[in-house]
Amino acid sequence: MRRLRVVWLVVALLAVALARGASGAPVQVVKLAFLGPLTGPNAPQGLGARNAFDLAIRQANASGRFPYRIEGVVLDDASDPATGRAAALRAVSDPAVVAATGHWNSPVAFATIEVFHEHRTPIVIWGAIHPDITRRGYAEVTRVAPTAEQETAVGARWTVRELRLRRWAVVHDTTTYGNFTRDAFVGTARGLGAEIVSADGINVGDRDFGALLTRLRGLNPDAVFFGGVVTEGALLRAQMVRARLDAAFFSISGIFDDRFIEVATPQAAEGTLSIKPGVPLERIAAGRRFIEDYRAAGYREPYGAYGPYAYDATNILLEALRQVGPDRAKLVDAIRNIRFRGLLGEVTFDREGQTRLVAVTRYVVQDGKWTVWEDSEYAKGKRRLR
Amino acid sequence: MVLEQLLNALLLAGMYSLVAVGFTLFFGVLDLVNFAHGEMAMLAVFAALALFAITGGAAWGSVLLAVVGVAGAGVLVERVALRRLRAAPPLLMLLATVGVSIILREGVRLLYPAGSNPQVFPPLFPEGALSLGAVQIPYDSLAILAIAWLLIAACDGFIRRTRTGAAIRAVAQDREAALFMGVDLDRTVSVTFLLGSALGAVAGLLNGAFYGIVRYDMGLVMAVKGFSAAVVGGLGSFYGALVGSLVLAAVETASTAYLPSGSQLRDILSFLVVIGFLVLRPTGLVGERSVEKV
Repeated sequence: MRRLRVVWLVVALLAVALARGASGAPVQVVKLAFLGPLTGPNAPQGLGARNAFDLAIRQANASGRFPYRIEGVVLDDASDPATGRAAALRAVSDPAVVAATGHWNSPVAFATIEVFHEHRTPIVIWGAIHPDITRRGYAEVTRVAPTAEQETAVGARWTVRELRLRRWAVVHDTTTYGNFTRDAFVGTARGLGAEIVSADGINVGDRDFGALLTRLRGLNPDAVFFGGVVTEGALLRAQMVRARLDAAFFSISGIFDDRFIEVATPQAAEGTLSIKPGVPLERIAAGRRFIEDYRAAGYREPYGAYGPYAYDATNILLEALRQVGPDRAKLVDAIRNIRFRGLLGEVTFDREGQTRLVAVTRYVVQDGKWTVWEDSEYAKGKRRLR
Repeated sequence: MVLEQLLNALLLAGMYSLVAVGFTLFFGVLDLVNFAHGEMAMLAVFAALALFAITGGAAWGSVLLAVVGVAGAGVLVERVALRRLRAAPPLLMLLATVGVSIILREGVRLLYPAGSNPQVFPPLFPEGALSLGAVQIPYDSLAILAIAWLLIAACDGFIRRTRTGAAIRAVAQDREAALFMGVDLDRTVSVTFLLGSALGAVAGLLNGAFYGIVRYDMGLVMAVKGFSAAVVGGLGSFYGALVGSLVLAAVETASTAYLPSGSQLRDILSFLVVIGFLVLRPTGLVGERSVEKV
């Protein structure tokens, strides 16, 4: 008899608890969305960034700074604008989602910022670097990664002026990103007195560049600039060796990934030049802590080139959330006006929502590894770019 | 330079022709455009990758096993998905091959670890190149060309000189008459699929070894190119497949090498050529018989 009474008591308590939960109780869960390529050719970039996003949220929950639980909603954009748009719609239609961070591919970002703008939901871009993304005048859109324009200009000054590579063959993929980087490079390089001997577009997915490279060899360039991303870049570099096109190879951060060396093979990748926004994490205290925490969390994939940006982007969302609480409209303003000490330095946004922080590190592939240019044997004159 | 572009074209042609010959065989024997054919190339590559992972390194034994396995898979596909449809309207069989193609492609994508992503394929041939004066021929290009042409020659010999080969030719020429003469149709079709799928498997493996990167959807691209080559040469004609591959490869190489922004226009131009042939010369360059005998 007594046992029965206890059971009733428990049931009654539960009912009260449930009723409280249902009626206007304080917010229990606040959601942040992540969008990026988790499948498809650019998945390595997206997976690393996703892990960094996850890490930032785990740390925020563990810190006890928030009176509610923060939950990450991870959505695959598959590097495809239509898929990305659908993912963005899913994110904004969940009222618990207050802000988002997303995208490595610029065409996808172009498709989704419309959605975030319409639904007055802030999004911080972690990896898509087409300059126009922040030029639509949308208050909701900010970006922590430097643009292709900022990046390419630094790269052109380095390779043309400092390394004295004068005759350039330009190859680019025919996406927005490829066309854009071509324009940025050609413009800056010409201004510095370089000669552009050719400009050829290739289609994403092409695998055979034999005929193209044989022709380029006839033009005798000092170097090849590639505007595109990892897979085609690696195939191009590998086939340059086969076609005996003896020229330097430079591309901006679209190819900066260990997979580039793996696909091209370390021998063929040797001497490849690239630049990457940001500074090497091992060299700064905050960066070392990030590397350690990332390792401790046990993610399967490496954090990749844009993991640190995704980490900063997520922490910016969290910082803004801490300042103004889970309100989309308030978050938009808070993010815009933030002054945030991130992994890579102090982030503030300009009128367009673009970060003012442009730190670029120069790299060269040496013995199968991306090596900071200043530390490499190439910079010391011990090895020569082919 | 011209010689090297010629070599580039020959190499492409070699890879296309291995796939094209398969299309031609299936079309000859079954009057069937087998859309699942490209997937055999993809299956072989992923089977080899799995075997490499299990045995701990790239080895020719695994490559051979992959070819044999995929040849078997080709026979199985015919047995399970196509045989019952032989008497049905040809469109149904075509549809079945499209279905098989999707199942295989998406199956690999879902079941292979990280199957949506490009996979690195190890080089199978030694590095370096053969020097012939000003021209250097990389060993892998040489090996690929040699393997492709040798296999096709062997296949041709098989079809011309063996009893089974005679049966294949007989069925291709006139199925009813062949049946009257006592040709075992099921067996002949099975052998055709064995042969065609094995060639497709080799094409995939050579492709993987050459470019060093493979993906679940590579079969689709290879099938489109191989099929186009077969159409240009004349579907159903063995040598047509070779000639068609050469024409297609020459158009692609020449447009990239000699046209402004040719590398972008390459695919457009090569498919214009295909459509041109379909309209102006539907029997292809070497086509022997009229396309329709309805």
